[in-house]
Amino acid sequence: MSKPNYQSHDNVSQSILGFAAFARANELNVGIREAQEALVVASLGLIGDKECFRYALKSVFCSCEENAQLFDKLFTEYWGRPKASIRSNVPMKNLPKLKKPGQRSLVLMGKGDDKDAKEEEGKNVSGANAAEQLRKTDFSRLSDLDSTYLEKLAMRLWKQMSRRLRKKLKNSNTKGRIDLRQTIRNNISNGGSMLDLKLKQKKPNKNRLVILLDVSGSMDKYSFFLLRFILALRSHFQKIEAFIFSTKLIRITGFLQVKDLDKVLYLLSSNTDNWSSGTKIGECLQGFNETFAKRSLHGRSMTIILSDGLDTGEPALLAGELGKIKRRTRKLIWLNPLKGMEGYQPLARGMKAALPEIDVFRSAHSLDSILELEKYLADV
Amino acid sequence: MIKEISSFVKSFDKLGYVADEELATVLFLMTKLQKPLLLEGHPGVGKTEVANILAAHLGTELIRLQCYEGLDVHSAVYEWNYQKQLLSIKIQESNQKTDLEKEKHIFGKDFLMPRPLLKAISGKDKPPVLLIDEIDRADEEFEAFLLELLSVYQISIPEFGTIKAVHPPFVVLTSNRTRELSEALRRRCLYHWVGYPSFEKEISIVRKHLPDIEQKLSEQVVKVIHVLRNKNLEKSPGISETLDWAMSLYALGSKELDEDSFSRTQGSVLKSFADTEKMKAEGLSKVLEEAASP
Repeated sequence: MSKPNYQSHDNVSQSILGFAAFARANELNVGIREAQEALVVASLGLIGDKECFRYALKSVFCSCEENAQLFDKLFTEYWGRPKASIRSNVPMKNLPKLKKPGQRSLVLMGKGDDKDAKEEEGKNVSGANAAEQLRKTDFSRLSDLDSTYLEKLAMRLWKQMSRRLRKKLKNSNTKGRIDLRQTIRNNISNGGSMLDLKLKQKKPNKNRLVILLDVSGSMDKYSFFLLRFILALRSHFQKIEAFIFSTKLIRITGFLQVKDLDKVLYLLSSNTDNWSSGTKIGECLQGFNETFAKRSLHGRSMTIILSDGLDTGEPALLAGELGKIKRRTRKLIWLNPLKGMEGYQPLARGMKAALPEIDVFRSAHSLDSILELEKYLADV
Repeated sequence: MIKEISSFVKSFDKLGYVADEELATVLFLMTKLQKPLLLEGHPGVGKTEVANILAAHLGTELIRLQCYEGLDVHSAVYEWNYQKQLLSIKIQESNQKTDLEKEKHIFGKDFLMPRPLLKAISGKDKPPVLLIDEIDRADEEFEAFLLELLSVYQISIPEFGTIKAVHPPFVVLTSNRTRELSEALRRRCLYHWVGYPSFEKEISIVRKHLPDIEQKLSEQVVKVIHVLRNKNLEKSPGISETLDWAMSLYALGSKELDEDSFSRTQGSVLKSFADTEKMKAEGLSKVLEEAASP
């Protein structure tokens, strides 16, 4: 069957409703109300002019600039081409390619594919001391069994941490101005004399956290745990912006809104395709600065970069872009899992260039090392 | 073009605003559907101006609410005049009214200070235009409150009762995209993206504001601005920068744009230290050359 178009219906209103359904099927957010309004638009006489009709429907059906491009394409497809072929001008929206979770997404599910290196330290772990031991174990050296256990432990501890952070925020609120409204209310019983003053509490500051997670091949063993760490932080920060990068940058904030962890992982694996590829940190940060920085960074936000700093791009570019981020954010933290290794020196080209711009440089290779972050997070 | 819409364009043109067909269609629709309009776009492309002109076109009052972080209901909707209330309580201490009457008195209309949102829905004879500027700067809580207001156009004041709009206002919201707005708010509104104008449109905007400017100068200015927009500056120049720049060149009596006049007036276009440095490194004459080549 051919694609639906306006000729496949008997009358105009059905064609319009058909278009609404067509738009809905193609991931535009079009509900019953929008369809009704489309009919009103037509009845106002706007259908007499194709361009006007398109503009009008666009304002009804779209809710952001990104939608608008998709809409133009759909409109042309459904209502036919205008006289002059403008099709080549219509930018093709790069739709998120839904692909079946394949090999790469195994990383997401926490099952990296190398089986040889992992059993060395992991297998010693047993008995009452197990939890203590596990907390110190490097993520890259976990056995499958331990990693399930550690995952549970990690989620529990991170949740606790998240809760502690929330509490800290509440207690540290200082009392603010006098609240006249409440004061008058409360003192009606005193005949209007202001005996009992009510104070307005200061609003807790909005915390905003921006996380950039490196998911390149060299980070495979860590990215799985670090991603879960990000998910655990959701509940503490009112605003969390998360991105993953390797050779390109992808914003994943939207996927994190889903409550169910497995669903998040599934969504991520099917909508992103940059797992386990090479690393171009500088370029990815440049992309971040150009597109997202203005929107997501402000004076009170904190930026965390999770990466091993093994960069194949230009170090100077990386340093420059980091500098830009630093000027926009309150604190720039770089977590490098390799730092947990004994005798590690930040000598990799990228890492060396990045160091002068970073406020805090710490490791993130084990559960304990991540929990130590708490003091910085509380400071936001 | 449809008649109503071309009349919109013409009327806007008379009022000094160059509107394209798309914007005119959306505005026409907004007045017919009684839906708020959400305008998004880069800073300085004339989003706020749309509301001004719409109010002028409809011959009605413009009520403006500038949003900022921490904006709360008391500064957006209403506030009681506490000082006056306290004084009134003191004055009435000696008279014979019952407490109930006294209370009713101090929570009366005389003591209510309407803020923009309340003003907007209590319009007496004509629907006003309500401009909610830079909504992305307000908190999510306030956004949620707006949702309620924008769907039923009524405000309830606990001490006073509910006020429902006789003439629901035409609402224009603007956003610079410093924060993503909620999907719920977006769905309540018509949406229009205000982009940078085309070369021809920008020229006509400059001529509209500066009718006496030399044609050559205005064309040069707009060309250079278009080059600068592709340079990935920290702060890309908007239409307001174009106008500022053209105006400063005009005020300095320049007949055409050369390196000297560019460097003297660059403060009206390049708005950050990094941008100034970047352009200096690239060479202003290079930029001028680039703009001059077709």
